[in-house]
Amino acid sequence: MKTIALYSIKGGVGKTATAVNLSYLSALLAPPTLICDLDPQGASSYYFRIAASKKFNSDKFLKGNKKIHSNIKATDFENLDLLPSDFSYRNLDIELSEEKKPKKKLKKNLEELSDDYRFVFFDCPPNLTLLSESVFAASDIILVPMIPTTLSIRTYVQLTDFFDANDLDSSKIRAFFTMVEKRKKMHRDIIQEFRNAPGFLRQTIPYNSEVEKMGLYRAPLNAVLPNSPAAKAYRNLWKELTTDLEQK
Amino acid sequence: MSALLQPIFFKINPDTSSELVLNNLLASVCKVAYLSTKKDRLTFYDTFEWQAYENGFVVYKKKNHLILADLHSRNEACSTAFQRLPFSFFPKYLPGCTMREQLCSFTDVRGFFRLCTVEEHIRSYRIMDDNDKTIGILSLTSLSIADRKKENPLTQYFSIRPLKGYQKEIFDIEKVFASYEELGRVLDFKELFLSIMKAVDHNVLGYSTKIDLNLDADAPIYTSAQRLLQFTLSVMRQNEAGIRKNIDSEFLHDFRVAIRRTRSVIKQLKGVFDPDETTRYLDFFKELGKLTNELRDLDVYLLRRETYYDYLPLFLQPPLPLFFNDIEASHRLLHKKFCRFLGSSSYTTFITEWNHVIKRELLPDADKAPNAALSTKTVAVDSIKKAWRKVIRHGRHVSKETTDSELHALRIDCKKLRYLLEFFSSIFPQNTIIPVIKQLKELQENLGDFVDFAVQVEFLHKRLEVLSSGGEKSLLAASMGGLMATLFQKQEEARRKFHRTFRLFDHDETSQLFHDLLTSNSAT
Repeated sequence: MKTIALYSIKGGVGKTATAVNLSYLSALLAPPTLICDLDPQGASSYYFRIAASKKFNSDKFLKGNKKIHSNIKATDFENLDLLPSDFSYRNLDIELSEEKKPKKKLKKNLEELSDDYRFVFFDCPPNLTLLSESVFAASDIILVPMIPTTLSIRTYVQLTDFFDANDLDSSKIRAFFTMVEKRKKMHRDIIQEFRNAPGFLRQTIPYNSEVEKMGLYRAPLNAVLPNSPAAKAYRNLWKELTTDLEQK
Repeated sequence: MSALLQPIFFKINPDTSSELVLNNLLASVCKVAYLSTKKDRLTFYDTFEWQAYENGFVVYKKKNHLILADLHSRNEACSTAFQRLPFSFFPKYLPGCTMREQLCSFTDVRGFFRLCTVEEHIRSYRIMDDNDKTIGILSLTSLSIADRKKENPLTQYFSIRPLKGYQKEIFDIEKVFASYEELGRVLDFKELFLSIMKAVDHNVLGYSTKIDLNLDADAPIYTSAQRLLQFTLSVMRQNEAGIRKNIDSEFLHDFRVAIRRTRSVIKQLKGVFDPDETTRYLDFFKELGKLTNELRDLDVYLLRRETYYDYLPLFLQPPLPLFFNDIEASHRLLHKKFCRFLGSSSYTTFITEWNHVIKRELLPDADKAPNAALSTKTVAVDSIKKAWRKVIRHGRHVSKETTDSELHALRIDCKKLRYLLEFFSSIFPQNTIIPVIKQLKELQENLGDFVDFAVQVEFLHKRLEVLSSGGEKSLLAASMGGLMATLFQKQEEARRKFHRTFRLFDHDETSQLFHDLLTSNSAT
């Protein structure tokens, strides 16, 4: 089982869109796949039209394995399941801090899933907290979407600094540019600058109004608009990432 | 969308329109949207003894895959690529996979053969919640037997498979279905499978060689013997098709056992039949048995293929394919010859006549068959007693050297006793007959091993004598030498074990068991 966290300190950079699209492609090409929605806003759950059961909450999530298993729901797409988030996840950090070895909690809680899934995606909330650290420990790849702007670059640097300061394995981090608008010079310059930087994937995701419309379709782009430029870009991104994973 | 959870099946009454169920009933409880229509052809396989079914599975080929599915839910347990559509196959020759392991765990000797092909016409619908999220798949399936398209579909049913995480929601819909008894009823896939098999005249689990006749202890022995003979003939007849199609070696084996049992009934129940009439039939059955001896021997060698490889060191194994190719060629020839005989008028006429004889209810003349009117119990007790005493007497006379002929003869005595116990098992209390059979079985196993090894050594010796010398043949001769040495050692091991095994049988405890059996009041 390979675990991929969609993570960024910054919000609105396309974490959920990437998690939804890549998990769909993963289920299509290398099934079976699970997407864990860790964001209390529940955007990826929303994209898949899934609501958590009334009895499911952060407490159950922290109990792990069996409780997680029984709350996983099938999406409308073959071999792709989702563990929905609940609004109670907003307190996940506080609850996590009360646990023993909180940083290893997520990894331990998902152990049993390795029999069922080949890929697990985490759609993470935008912050840098104890939950994020637990995600870092549980993930094989920390995939960071970035808009090619100075602020995004700054948050990326903050993340790598944090890894260095806390002696974490920064070789897990993979960054890529999203919402790329080629007509903007700054976008072009930043991409050029980081093209060959270590840990950066070469494939970029163009700004595409269809990505924004995913909220209307409530489905992955490759399922509804496979010919859109963004859908093609996600396919290439997944290809690049899996090649990268094979070499890891 | 993983739909591998427990589904429900709702069989629609023949006079109910599926559209009615779909439009009125379902629409009132949930939202459905058309998903797809597809056609599939399923070819079902099982062994003659329904070993997949008995283990709770169905085996079928769909598209280019062989699938093992749960009998009750039809959920797939495993599958493997399967391009061809053979009439029969042995699981051990499937490529290494879970499927092979599973099927081999059901049987290591029986072949799986084609039962029938059905066509499925499936219209699927998504069942959705208020968010238009799919929570289950509803399929309307119309099943027909392939190549009988002109007939109406065999059956029509809905199946509902919940998606993971939506069992509860689907369960509520299932309850609505279950309440509409006038439109159809809820059932599981096993029942659908049985109705398919019934439509193609397959009697599921309808075959057994176990004598389970519930004989009447007070009925004239002639009547009981006729029932036993009817049973053995039916076993023979049921195995003929399988022998012809060469599905597996068990068909011939069961056929031969039925012949031996037939002869045993006639010969061991003295004074029950008119000898003027039965002699001719006995001779025929004897010849029929002989006709299959060699073919059965070859079957056994082919079954022991792996064991022979195991007996030899690696460097003596390479010539073995030559040996087995030779056996296979002889087998093909003999099989063809025997099948020709099975189809001959002399065989069919004989069987028709015999069938007529064993259905005769009128008892034969008392002067020709003086014991025919005796009660079943009297004759059973008497003949078992005699056969048991014979085994004890002959066993005690086996010399210290335990010669081949002594052991061969004792084996036949034991077999006769065993047959009698099996014939009349239903008139004795089960708690007295089972331990007796168990004791006898151990002795039979020892003698069976001895004779088997002896026969194999002799067979190999004969083959060796006709081998020409030089080249590959010399290597084969070395391998056969190795095999004979191993088999001979095993034969001698069995011989050495004999006296100890017989002592355990010829013991007060066994004697008491036989005494209890023969003095017990019949249970039925």
